[in-house]
Amino acid sequence: MVTDDNAADRLPGRREPNSHCVRSSQDAPVPSSAATDLRAAGRGARRSGRGIRRHWRATPWLFLLPGLAITLLFSLYPFVNTIILAFTDAQVLGGGNFTGGANFSRMLHDPQFWTALRNSALYVVGVVPFLVLLPLLLAMLVQRHIPGIAFFRAAFYTPVVASVVVVGLIWTWLLDSRGLVNSVLKALHVVSEPVPFLTDETLLLISAMLVTIWKGLGYYMIVYLAALANVPRDLHEAAEVDGAGPVRRFFSVTVPAIRPTMVLVGALSAVAAFRVFSEIYILSGSSGGPAGADISLVMLIRQVGTGLNGELGYSSALSVVLFVLTLGLMLLTMRLNKNEEVA
Amino acid sequence: MRSARILLAAVTSVAVVSLSACGIGGSGDSGSQSTANDGPVTGDVTGTISFETWNLKAKYSDYFTGLIKQFEQQHPGAKVNWLDQPADGYADKLSADASADSLPDVINLSPDFAYPLYKKKLLLDLDKAAPDAAKDYLPNAWQGNVMPGQKDNYAFPWYLNTGPYFYNKKLFTDGGLDPNKPPTTYDELAQQGLTLAKNTNGAFAMLGQTPQIEDLGLYGVDLMDPAGTKFTFNSAKGVKLVELYKSMYDAKALLPEALSATYTGSGKKFLAQQVAISSGSAYDLQTFRTDAPSLYANVGITAPMTNTGHANMYVQGLSVAAHSKNKATAIAFGRFVTNAQNQMAFAKIVTVFPSTAGTLNDPFFTQDDGTDIGRVRVASAKQLANGINYTPVQLSDQMKTVLRNELANAMLGKSTPQQALDNAVNQCNQLLGH
Repeated sequence: MVTDDNAADRLPGRREPNSHCVRSSQDAPVPSSAATDLRAAGRGARRSGRGIRRHWRATPWLFLLPGLAITLLFSLYPFVNTIILAFTDAQVLGGGNFTGGANFSRMLHDPQFWTALRNSALYVVGVVPFLVLLPLLLAMLVQRHIPGIAFFRAAFYTPVVASVVVVGLIWTWLLDSRGLVNSVLKALHVVSEPVPFLTDETLLLISAMLVTIWKGLGYYMIVYLAALANVPRDLHEAAEVDGAGPVRRFFSVTVPAIRPTMVLVGALSAVAAFRVFSEIYILSGSSGGPAGADISLVMLIRQVGTGLNGELGYSSALSVVLFVLTLGLMLLTMRLNKNEEVA
Repeated sequence: MRSARILLAAVTSVAVVSLSACGIGGSGDSGSQSTANDGPVTGDVTGTISFETWNLKAKYSDYFTGLIKQFEQQHPGAKVNWLDQPADGYADKLSADASADSLPDVINLSPDFAYPLYKKKLLLDLDKAAPDAAKDYLPNAWQGNVMPGQKDNYAFPWYLNTGPYFYNKKLFTDGGLDPNKPPTTYDELAQQGLTLAKNTNGAFAMLGQTPQIEDLGLYGVDLMDPAGTKFTFNSAKGVKLVELYKSMYDAKALLPEALSATYTGSGKKFLAQQVAISSGSAYDLQTFRTDAPSLYANVGITAPMTNTGHANMYVQGLSVAAHSKNKATAIAFGRFVTNAQNQMAFAKIVTVFPSTAGTLNDPFFTQDDGTDIGRVRVASAKQLANGINYTPVQLSDQMKTVLRNELANAMLGKSTPQQALDNAVNQCNQLLGH
């Protein structure tokens, strides 16, 4: 535990409730030496605030109130409500009785649920390795200070800023049976029949993964850039003196230093991939692919729970399952991380 | 350790937010209030009411503001607030309003939207509330808003529509078909489709859509049992239609995208000249003219295919909320908007058709003025005289998805047509019970 709780204790009443959060998110990916500098700077700043008079006990709560109210009202209340609804047969138009585990046993016999679960899981498997590795390589590429590099950084980041709907539609046009990709392939005589990117159930899922990876590259690249900037130069220099080549330095210096970031990226991208909606929804023209074979869990939740005949109860039960699985996914990542730390 | 804890916090919050986004609405029972819906509604036409339309403000604002002004002048003290919702998400808006018990007083509904609201006792029984209204409307239009298992109507019939089929004469010629003899039945459609596919080798297709529930109805399949309690479209006749489509799919007369296409998807394929024939409505003609002039030059218009002799009819109605505070005003306004004179005026600007008795005999609907639009109008008006709304009101969006998915399985050969329809019927019946 590396905290400066002591510093805070020396200033009773001055302990900002969210200072922990802010500091820790800085600390997390930062290796020890750089972190120490940061903390030293932070402590200095706080020390200068000494001497301000003690506050009324409720003051921190007053500061907290707006944020807390919003969180309670718009996150926590609906969260609890969803869990309650999951055990009822509530409809969108009201009503609903407690039905125990009926929704969950219905799920076991619902082929659509299993299809959706399989697709969401496949999405994680197909997307996460690429989103952990590719942005790192990209970040190392654009990390160097070469004239004009800012242009490339911006270019790689553009898809992140672009709306997923717009991006999805553009890819739909590219991948259509008469789209650009197929026209080029046909003109080059690579294929004689158009490749069914959007009409074959396997290819559609792969196409959607491609869009997700392409769109996510820039975002995780920025995360990695920040982490790479904090890899101590002296370690690199020492390794170089010892005769380590670039590959060896990558595995022995860079990777260990940014491993917490890699885990974070892995966890974030896994959670995002598990909850995929827009890419598949748009590439399949809102239908979830031929015979709905490419539907994801979130798409299923939407399909079941909306409209005038929406089954809120069943839809909530699906949401609860999604939540539990997401949580499990994340605990798994953490477990892996911990084991590696021990090793 | 530390990073692990941050990770937990970060991802948990992401997960919580994701979950909570799905938990809309409470579980309050909005159907429990007494609707006091036993007899004719009487009272002064006064007070403020709200009036909700579906995707009409963008184009027809002038018509409605004029209408409202006229109504307010005729009934001093009455005031109408006009609300309009965009095409997408109308059902979500209605369900949000319904669960908050704040449905507008007068609501534009199609019968399949009216049905779930009727089931929750949120709509006014108009046969009881306005017993003298029925005679003003076409009997089949009034009947179209009678809820299953009921004798009474829950919406004043408003505008009607019926889809002609559009076909691409150039693609017909290229495909070796007679551009003056478009198919009139589903059997002809399959036959011509197979010919076209043979001649074009997949350069374009005949059709861009697997059968919808209306197609099954138009083919003569009994969709539900007479009491409306279960679906029955897995009959031998239903299987026959699916087999026709399957033969088209195998021959590439049916576009592969058809398996995942929704209605607008297939319309777009016609616009892009990738399919030779597509159902549509009279106002699509304008889209062709502006968005696809080369298609417009070759477009042919024909009556919809039917094996029953009846055309499919789409009905829009105006319902009154059961909990409306000014029922008398709401009923008066609903009847005012749907009276013969105002429907006629609306039909002249939108190419829809009035549902009032006798209005379709107007020369506007019986005499071909030589224009394309005039021709579609006259042909459509003739179909409406004996049109049937084939879509069962019980068919929810979820059931439509079930049908589309099962039919796609049949096309792909993952199940036989009989299995596919059996599956669809079973799942739909299950959803009906939920």
